[in-house]
Amino acid sequence: MDAGFDSAIGALNTALNLRLANQNVIASNIANADTPGYKSKTLDFESSLREALGTVEGARPEATHPEHIYRRATDPVKPEIYDDPNGVESLDGNTVDRSSEMAKMAENQLLYDAAIEMLKKKLAMQKYAISEGGGNR
Amino acid sequence: MDFFSSMRVSASGLDAQTKRMNTISSNIANAETTRTAEGGPYKRKDPTFAAVTDRESFGEILENALDEQVQGVMVQEITEDQRAPRMVYNPSHPDANPEGYVALPNVNPVEEMANMISAQRSYEANVTAMNAAKAMGQKSLEIGR
Repeated sequence: MDAGFDSAIGALNTALNLRLANQNVIASNIANADTPGYKSKTLDFESSLREALGTVEGARPEATHPEHIYRRATDPVKPEIYDDPNGVESLDGNTVDRSSEMAKMAENQLLYDAAIEMLKKKLAMQKYAISEGGGNR
Repeated sequence: MDFFSSMRVSASGLDAQTKRMNTISSNIANAETTRTAEGGPYKRKDPTFAAVTDRESFGEILENALDEQVQGVMVQEITEDQRAPRMVYNPSHPDANPEGYVALPNVNPVEEMANMISAQRSYEANVTAMNAAKAMGQKSLEIGR
């Protein structure tokens, strides 16, 4: 949402999408905690968010021509998901650590809720501004 | 990618753990069974899990290469444990061999119990994951309220 009221809303939108993707990855790990040979997957939230918001130096190519295509904030995010390099293989080749997945899930959920609250506040502030500071008249 | 794909993945986990629980119950119930349809004592059953990519529709495949990484689980096959049966000396048993030994199933109750606890924990973990996804979905409905 490059030209929106508030760029923070676009950022929160991306953050929520990433949190959701992270939840999917964690659910997948938990479902496969007993699957032989399954490798625990992980999503690097911070770097994915930085990349999606284009705050990484050189991550977003310069659009010097009207027909150049580059990622916009409203495009769906495609976070990078990779096999957890710190996973310890059990006898059947599975690398899922159930307790750490549960902890990650709880954390992810809390931060998702936090982002929602932020978004609600931002929207409430805009509503206030639109109604000339007069509240709900 | 939506809340429902996370819930579908957890549901597949619940389903797989339920099937595992069923084989465990079957093993415990038949711990002393000496007669089966195939003949001989009951053989311990064990499910094999396999990861499957969550794909509901063509549209989803098209829009999301990401879902390749989000995998559910399914019971691929249920195999019979090929360990030798337990031989117990009991000449009065109708299925005893000429030496007086009865071939009892290769079921170890301790092993089954441990397996059951593990299945139960995994089931609970999947329920928690599903509830988390549901709570997130419900929370998102509060935006703009």
